[in-house]
Amino acid sequence: MITKTDVEKIARLACIDLDAEDMQAFTMQFNAILDYFEELEDIEAELTELEEHNVLRADEVTPSLPQRDALANAPKVENGYFRGPRIL
Amino acid sequence: MSHREHVEELLDAIERSKLNAFITVDYEGARQQAEEADAGELDGRLAGVPVAIKDAISTKGLRTTCASKMLEHYVPPYDAFVVKKLREEGAVIIGKTNMDEFSMGTSTETSFFGPCKNPWDLERVPGGSSGGSAAAVAAHEADLALGSDTGGSIRCPASFCGVVGLKPTYGRVSRNGLVSYGNSMEQIGPIARTVKACAALFEVIAGYDPWDSTCRNVPVPHYGARLADEITGLEVGVPQDFFGEGVDPVVENATWEAIAVLESLGVHAKETSMPNLKYALSAYYIQAMSEASSNLARYSGIIYGDRVQKDHDWHTTFSENRASGFGKEVKRRILLGTYALSAGYYDKYYLKARKARVLISQDFRRVFKQFDALIAPTMPYTAFKIGEKNEDPLSLYKVDINTVPINLANVPSLSVPCGRKGRLPIGMQIIGDQFNEQLLFNIAFQFEQSTNNRHAV
Repeated sequence: MITKTDVEKIARLACIDLDAEDMQAFTMQFNAILDYFEELEDIEAELTELEEHNVLRADEVTPSLPQRDALANAPKVENGYFRGPRIL
Repeated sequence: MSHREHVEELLDAIERSKLNAFITVDYEGARQQAEEADAGELDGRLAGVPVAIKDAISTKGLRTTCASKMLEHYVPPYDAFVVKKLREEGAVIIGKTNMDEFSMGTSTETSFFGPCKNPWDLERVPGGSSGGSAAAVAAHEADLALGSDTGGSIRCPASFCGVVGLKPTYGRVSRNGLVSYGNSMEQIGPIARTVKACAALFEVIAGYDPWDSTCRNVPVPHYGARLADEITGLEVGVPQDFFGEGVDPVVENATWEAIAVLESLGVHAKETSMPNLKYALSAYYIQAMSEASSNLARYSGIIYGDRVQKDHDWHTTFSENRASGFGKEVKRRILLGTYALSAGYYDKYYLKARKARVLISQDFRRVFKQFDALIAPTMPYTAFKIGEKNEDPLSLYKVDINTVPINLANVPSLSVPCGRKGRLPIGMQIIGDQFNEQLLFNIAFQFEQSTNNRHAV
């Protein structure tokens, strides 16, 4: 059983502000969805059997995105840097 | 008709359309590319052919929103690998299609730009998340389209709109430039009105790209040249697990009638079972949500994206930006994914989902020892009404019951029209073993040639 306090904690972890209405609705919906997920409870299998391929390429230097293009979509820019909120 | 005239016809159709299939139309670019094609300046396998692109795929200089307020003004500084391939082959990029926000949905209703409508019935959904791509192709607003499929997002709208759509083998098409949602399961794929056109588009976008570390270096066959290859004697499995509770009897009958057509072409069909598929829906959603919570962490409103005016400390600023930029379903999935990966719950949810994926993959490996391909209904029913499933997210998730197992097993699946319920199209999926797309095209092509299910609105 997941409570409103739990949802508040998850929202904080995920960096998403929730209004009261969403908090209420999500708490109810999360319980229904997580109940459904319970069906996996008894599953056992070896994870080594997952077929996952990572294809590596040669580590060669190639031209990268020009600074101007990289900054073009940033809402706030200063002296060629992204401008973030203050840390402290 | 010149390419320019054809493009003008499509642009007119889009202008007059009630579907809301496009988020951004590139009038100027499309006209210019068509003129270049007419002047013989473009060559390649798709010279002058208008293609619509799902708005989750990056197009240099052309707004790419993912149907989200978060990316409302985002203009990519580079082309996705598949878009580069399209340009190399002379395609005309006509615009960016509507979708569920960040590809999270089955109905194209969660778009920040408003829902897309089904061309067969404007009160119904086109399916999702690549709903705009399928609707545009079905309604002749584009000749071809690209979609992306994480848990059914190409096949569902192809089924609901009566067109052909392929979810390729994982690793067959580069994901470079595709906005990530559930990156261990998603692939970009083609949508077209005929199997032949679908194969032609696929041939262009498939292939190795060093910029996607999961993209495999496997030669790309000339799919279109072998569509008429012999299919007599093929063994096809029909897993009963795709005909479970909730499948509309009309859809079930249409699928069996299609199987009878294949039998008349010399294919042997036999029922089979894949018992672990019952875990697919939970396994898919836990993994997709977990991957989403990580992939969407990049949207903080600093490097790109929506940013509220006033800055506070970083945590408050990020949380406000994300609250304002994301829609409800995106928030829901990020939060559930965050929960599934958090300390104390990782073993209970994420790890179990990974284990279920192993069992489901084993089921597929086993049946592909016995069968060349599998046949199943793509969707349990035909297109539902807009708003019908908005109240209860779980009921909307359950719509994906037949499409998600394919993504978990990394195998390809092609959805083709196989009948109708009233006006509404029904689709069946032909599922193959990894890198066996050719066989799916061959079966679908010969089925299409011997039936009359091709739709034009």
